[in-house]
Amino acid sequence: MWDQVGQTLNQSTVGVLSRLASLLPGLLALLAAVLLSAVLAWLVTVILRWVLRGIRFDERLETWGFTGLAEYSPQQSPALLVTRVAAWSIVLSGLILGLGAFEATLTSQITLRVFEYLPNLATAILVMIVGYLAARYLARSVLIESVNMNLHYARLLSLGVKWLVMVCTIAMALDHLQVASGVVHLAFGILFGGIVLALALAVGLGSKELVSRSLDRESTRASADAEEAIRHI
Amino acid sequence: MADSVAEQIESADAVIGLAPPAPRDGHAVESTIARIVETPVSLQIALLHPPLSPNRPEPSRVNSHWHLIASPQLTRDPSSPAQSLGDSFRATFDLAQKLNARACAVVASDLSSTTVDWVSLLLQPIVEEQFDLVAPCYARHPFEGMINRAIVYPLVRALYGKRIRNPMGPDFGISSRLLLRVAGAPAARLHTLPSLAAEAVTNGMMLCQSHLGPRIYAAPDFTNLGTLLAQVLGPLFLDVERYAAHWQRARASQPIREFGIANDVEAPESTLDVSRLIESFQLGARNLREVWSIILPPSTLVELGHIARNAAPQFRVPDVTWARVVYDFALAHRLRTISRDQMLRALTPIYLGWVASYALDLEHASPEAAEERLEKLCVVYEETKPYFVSRWRWPDRFNP
Repeated sequence: MWDQVGQTLNQSTVGVLSRLASLLPGLLALLAAVLLSAVLAWLVTVILRWVLRGIRFDERLETWGFTGLAEYSPQQSPALLVTRVAAWSIVLSGLILGLGAFEATLTSQITLRVFEYLPNLATAILVMIVGYLAARYLARSVLIESVNMNLHYARLLSLGVKWLVMVCTIAMALDHLQVASGVVHLAFGILFGGIVLALALAVGLGSKELVSRSLDRESTRASADAEEAIRHI
Repeated sequence: MADSVAEQIESADAVIGLAPPAPRDGHAVESTIARIVETPVSLQIALLHPPLSPNRPEPSRVNSHWHLIASPQLTRDPSSPAQSLGDSFRATFDLAQKLNARACAVVASDLSSTTVDWVSLLLQPIVEEQFDLVAPCYARHPFEGMINRAIVYPLVRALYGKRIRNPMGPDFGISSRLLLRVAGAPAARLHTLPSLAAEAVTNGMMLCQSHLGPRIYAAPDFTNLGTLLAQVLGPLFLDVERYAAHWQRARASQPIREFGIANDVEAPESTLDVSRLIESFQLGARNLREVWSIILPPSTLVELGHIARNAAPQFRVPDVTWARVVYDFALAHRLRTISRDQMLRALTPIYLGWVASYALDLEHASPEAAEERLEKLCVVYEETKPYFVSRWRWPDRFNP
């Protein structure tokens, strides 16, 4: 009986070891792919950093109006953000390639899923970029116009417009990414309605006196301007 | 209509375009025309005017020296004042070219202030003295035409080196030589009002100005001051970019010959309330710092912050700071650091701050004192010009 037990143990050990041995090339291939992609990522990082520094990417980005991007970048440098995104994308691609070395069916499934998802990801990124730019432009326009109209709650209005557009943009991007669409719809409704209500309350109740003072000033401005001697043209 | 009538006239010595700003009844235009054509002249003059009845243009009437031509293009649209004014100028220029006129004048002010002298003051220097551009000089009190006083006149004087009191008219006399240059240019290249003076100066043409007396004008149909500033300064800053090669070489400024009699106008007796102007500046300093920081260098920003802490009697925006601000905005317009429209509107609070300082300086002052004050500002603009030239040439250089 002990012989049979020993034989079974031997067989299972051999089976496990042979399976491990069969996985080893795949594992090595995965390691090699990750290592190679890491090296490639490092090379790309070096070249990209050199190029971006050469063209003074951070300063140019500010002149193009992307001043807010520095806030979300590591060490306040959008160039660093770009290089890191590029590097991690290469490492991730290497990892997907390496995983494919394990089994053909797994490879095709992962690759298929990843490539199926890419258009959604690209659209979501585009939506975010356009939304961010629109939010900034509209917020700035509202701020300047409100200040020119002598409204003391100019900043509040501008912030409200900015977040209305941003919330709308984020909801659209998440919808494209197909991330918990039910929750996103609900959350968007609650947030959007919340911001509108908050603005209405802030302007209507919270800043009631402030608003009435501002509006008073506006209503008297037209007649005062007509009377006063200063004429701009 | 204008074309068919113009075909009946072979040539004219001069063309006058009447383009009153507000839509007026035909009677007002007709009475102005009647006053003008009574002037004894030795020239053959074609007078282009808006139709007297909106839908039924009047036929041309001709006397020995005057040919009247109605053109719908001279009807000004209050909803797009700049565009319709440009159309009126173009229509007058086209007719002047068609008739081979030696001189051309456009009267774009309210016709109720137009006297018969205006015609001779705008045309005679061209016909008799071979000038190429006659700019207007109006009798105004020290607080009228503030955008011209604060920005347009000192900037054009400092950049182009000619003391043209109203570079943007809107009433001008133009020679056929200048007309050829302006009319030949593509519509998109030249803006009617600011480009006339710049084009004349940069091409070495002869300029003068005529004292036309008081000018009555209706309040413009602009929703707010920001829109007005954007409408005026946009084309002006485009010209600064267009003629950069010329104004960087120009040094100091020279007076130009004047015609007519200058009249001083006293400021109104009413006390000026500058508190709202100062409040607008302070509100801007509190809220627009983020926008201004894209346009202005840090030292100017800090200075504006310090100025905003002062209240009425002590409040002043120094002329040097103001001149630098205008130059920085002109540079930002060229660099497009932010949307041009937003940028020009963001100038409004600083402009109101300077107007408040000017009003505080000149409260109960005589017209002579107001002239001295304006001259001081113009000199500061001229002295600050090297700063602008330097920033224009090396915009990326560190500027504290």
